[in-house]
Amino acid sequence: MDELTREFLIESLEGLDRMERCLTDLEKRPQDAALLGEIFRSVHTIKGTTGFLGFKRLEKLAHRGENLLGLLRDGKVVACRGVITGLLHLLDGLRAILKCIEADESEGTGDDASLIAELEALQTPSGGIEAPSTQPPAPKVGPVVSAVSDPALASAKAGSASPGNESACAAPLPETQTSIEPAAEQPGAAAPPASDSGKLRTPPSTAESTLRVDVTLLNRMMNLVGELVLTRNQVLQATATDPRMTLLSRRLDMVTADLRESVMKARMQPVSNIFSKMPRLVRDLSQSLGRRVHLEMEGQETELDKSLLEAIKDPLTHAVRNALDHGIEPPEERRAVGKDPEGTLKLRAVQEGSHVVIEISDDGAGIAVDKVRDKAIERGLITSDRAALLGERELLQLIFLPGFSTAAMVTNVSGRGVGMDVVRTNVEKIGGKVELDSRAGKGTTLRLRIPLTLAIIPALIVRSLNQSFALPQGALSELVHIPPERAATAIEWIESAPLYRLRGRLLPLVFLSRLLSPGRDCRLAADRDNFIAVLDADGRRFGLVVDGLADPEEIVVKPLSAVLKDIGLYSGATVLGNADLALILDPGAIAMKAGITMHSEEEAGAQVEESADAARAEFLLVEVAGRRAAVPLADVLRIEQLPLSRIEYVGYRPVLNFEGHLLPVEDSGGMLGQAAEVRGDEAGAAGAQIIVVVCRDVNRLVGIVVSHVLDVAAGSDLFEAGTGVQAGGVTMLKNHVTGIVDLGSVAPLVSGGPSQEAWTQPAEVTG
Amino acid sequence: MTAMVTAVCNSRSQVQVELCSVRVNNTMFGVPIGHILEIVGSARPQPVPLAPEYVGGLVHYRGDVLTTVSLRQLLGLAPCEGAQDILVLESEGGCFGLQVDSVGEVLTVSPADFEPNPSILDRRHSSLLAGAYKLKDRLLVMLDPERLDPMRLAQEMAER
Repeated sequence: MDELTREFLIESLEGLDRMERCLTDLEKRPQDAALLGEIFRSVHTIKGTTGFLGFKRLEKLAHRGENLLGLLRDGKVVACRGVITGLLHLLDGLRAILKCIEADESEGTGDDASLIAELEALQTPSGGIEAPSTQPPAPKVGPVVSAVSDPALASAKAGSASPGNESACAAPLPETQTSIEPAAEQPGAAAPPASDSGKLRTPPSTAESTLRVDVTLLNRMMNLVGELVLTRNQVLQATATDPRMTLLSRRLDMVTADLRESVMKARMQPVSNIFSKMPRLVRDLSQSLGRRVHLEMEGQETELDKSLLEAIKDPLTHAVRNALDHGIEPPEERRAVGKDPEGTLKLRAVQEGSHVVIEISDDGAGIAVDKVRDKAIERGLITSDRAALLGERELLQLIFLPGFSTAAMVTNVSGRGVGMDVVRTNVEKIGGKVELDSRAGKGTTLRLRIPLTLAIIPALIVRSLNQSFALPQGALSELVHIPPERAATAIEWIESAPLYRLRGRLLPLVFLSRLLSPGRDCRLAADRDNFIAVLDADGRRFGLVVDGLADPEEIVVKPLSAVLKDIGLYSGATVLGNADLALILDPGAIAMKAGITMHSEEEAGAQVEESADAARAEFLLVEVAGRRAAVPLADVLRIEQLPLSRIEYVGYRPVLNFEGHLLPVEDSGGMLGQAAEVRGDEAGAAGAQIIVVVCRDVNRLVGIVVSHVLDVAAGSDLFEAGTGVQAGGVTMLKNHVTGIVDLGSVAPLVSGGPSQEAWTQPAEVTG
Repeated sequence: MTAMVTAVCNSRSQVQVELCSVRVNNTMFGVPIGHILEIVGSARPQPVPLAPEYVGGLVHYRGDVLTTVSLRQLLGLAPCEGAQDILVLESEGGCFGLQVDSVGEVLTVSPADFEPNPSILDRRHSSLLAGAYKLKDRLLVMLDPERLDPMRLAQEMAER
C-alpha cells in the first residue's frame, strides 16, 4: 500500500471517529451548526480524496452523504432521529469500505444501493407544507438524481422511499418542532456538552504541530531508553570515585531521566480515545433494549499508556453493555419506582497516584444480592452454609466467579454477571483491579483500577537460590519478618502443608526455593532472617517464603522467549540497577502451581473476618457540637460536605435532596442553626458549609449533621462491672467511651404521631 | 536443512563460504557468519530455574533479554563452570544466544569440502548438526541456527 493511501485511511478513519462523536451529540442539539460543519467536513474530506485516489464506490457513497449533510447544514432538513440513524448507517458503510481498502486495497464488492436509497429518501423533504421558496434543495438534489445512472439504484431508491419508511425517517420541516422538544425539555443536559464540542473543534489547529509516529518505533524508543537508564546506573557507579566525572555523570543522569519521562509521555493517550466510542454504543444499545439513557463522561483527558488503553477497551464495552442491559431499567419500570425515566450512565476517568481509575456507574436497579446468592448456590459455586456466612460485599464478588455468567441467568435475574469474570481477568492481566459496589434500587458502580503504564512497574526484589527475583508490588499485601530465633516454631503443619498463623488466620505457605528447585526441604533457615511475602493474586492469598529481601525498584519489564514463558512461573525479566538480570515472578501462576485455590481461601477468610468483625466493629468517629460520637462504619455510605443552602425544610424538619431522594437530616447538635447564625445574614448563611454523614438505616437513608469527621477506629464492647452485661449504645473507641448514634431513632419522613414529637426536641435546641 | 545442503552442493566450488569457528569441549563447530548478529565475550548468563535442560539462561543484549542455548548441555556434556562466549543468532523465531566455550576465527571454506551427516551418527546428534567441512587437519562440524532455536528445540523435545 502506498504512503498516500495509508495516510488517507488513517485520516478518514479518524474523521469518521470524530463524526460518530458529533452525530450522537447532534441528536441532543439538532441545530448546532458547528457540529454539522464538523460532520460535513469529515465526509467531504473523504469524498474529495477518494476521487483523487480512484475509489469509486467510496466516492459515490460519500457523495450521497455529503448531499444530505449539505441540506442539514443549510437547515433544509432537520436532524431528527431517523436522519441520525441514516447518517450512522452511512458512517458504518464508509467505515466498512475503508476497512476493506485497508485489508486488500480494494473497495470490496458490497452493494450500497439500499444505503444510498436510504440517504436519498432522507433528503427528500416531503414538501407541500413549506412554501416553495424554502425548498431550494431542488437544484442541489437535481444533479444527484441524475447521477443515479444505474437503473437498479433508482428502483431501490424508489422502493425504500415508500410512504411507510418516509414517516419514520424523512422529517419534513413541520415536524421539526416536535423533534426538538425532547432537547428543550432538559436545557441542563444540553449545556455541558457544548464545551465538549469546543474541544472537538480544536484538533485542526493542533494538527500542524503534531506528527504521526509508528507505535513500533515508540516501543523501540522505550526499550532503548530502558537500556540507557541501565547504562547510566552503571556509569554512575563506575564514576562515583572520580571527581572529574561527577559533573558529567550527573548531567547524564538528569538527561536520561528527562528522556525517559518524555518517551513515556509520548506513549500516553487520553482515555477519550475509547470513551468516544461509547455514545454510539449507548445510543444503539438503548434503542435496541428500549431504555432511555443519558450518558455522562468525565475526565476524558486522563492519559493512559496506549497498550493499556487497547487492553481495557473490551472490558469497558462489556461493562457499559451490562449497565444498560441489566442495570438501567426500562422507562416504565423506572417511573413506577419514582425514578427519572431516563437513566444515567456515568463514565469517569481519574488518575490516582500511579493508577488510573475508570468508573462506570449507573442509577439502575443495582444487583439483587439475594438473587446472586441463590444463583450461585444453584450453580454449585458455593454451598448454602457458606453463603449464609458471607456479607453483602462478599456475595457481590460472586458474580466474578467464572461459570456464574450464563445465558440462563440473564433472563432470570435482573442482576449483572454476564462475563464479569472476563472483565476481571482482562483487567487483572494488565495488572489492574476491579471493584464493584452496588446498592439495590440505587445503581451499580464498577471501578477498573489500571496501572499508568505496563512497561515500568514497581516491584520488590527478593532473593532465593542466590538469585534475584522481582515480585510485582501490586500483588504484595504485606511482608512478615521471621527472626532466626523464631524460625523453628513459626511454621505450623497440617501433614505436608506448611501454614503460618497471620493475625489468627492460617496462611498457606509456598517456599520459593522449593518451588524453583524441587527436592529442597521446606524449612526456615535458623541462621539468618526469613521473610514471608504475603501475596494476593486474583483472590488467592498465600505467603511466599523467600531467603532475603533487596530494595524495591521500578523495573522495566522485558518479555521472555516462548520457551521460558511456557514454564508458567515468570511473567518477564528485568535488568536491575546493579546490571543483574532478574526474573519477574507471576504470583497468580505460583498460586496455581502450588494448588492454592480461591474458594478454600475465601471460605477460611470470610469466616475469620466474620467472627473478628463481631468482636471489633469499626466506627466512624465524629464530633457533634463538641461531643464525640460514633457511627457504625458499615452503615456509612458517604460523607458529604455541602453548602447549608442544600438543606431544605419540610415543615420544621431539615431534609436533604441526596441523589434525587429526600432523606431526613438529624441535627442533634443544632449545627444547622449555628452555621446560619455564624454567617449572620441570609445570603451568607446559604454559603456556609456543613458536613452530613449519609448513613443507611435498615432500608432507608438518613443524614447526620456533624461538626467534624475525626477518624475511623475499631471499637470494643463495654461490659458493666459486676453484672457483666453488655452496655448498649456505647463503645470503647480510642480509649474513650463514645456514644453510638442511634440511626433508628431518626424520625421517618412519612409518618405522624410520636416521631413527629420526638423531632421537635432538637428543633428546640436549634432555636 | 536439506535445502541448505543442496544449496551448498549446487554451488560447489563456485562460492566460498565464511564460517565462524567455535569450540565446545575440543570439538570445532562452524556457524555461518550471516546468521551471527554479534558476539558477546565472556558472559555469565543468569540461570532460569525450571527451564528445559538445554537453556543456558538469560543475557542482557541491547535492551532485550535473550534466552541462551547452551551447546554443551545440548550435546549432553557437563555444564561449564566459568564464563562462556555467546553468539547472538538470528533465526525465524527471533534472536537467541548460543553459549559456547570459546569463539575462534572466521574460516573461509569451499563448498566442495562439505559432507552431510554420516549415517552412523545417532539420531539426537544428527538432528542438531548439519554436516561437516573437511579442513586440512580436522573436521569443522556445521551448526544450523534454525535447528538450535530454543522454540524449535522445545517442540522436538515435546515430540520425543
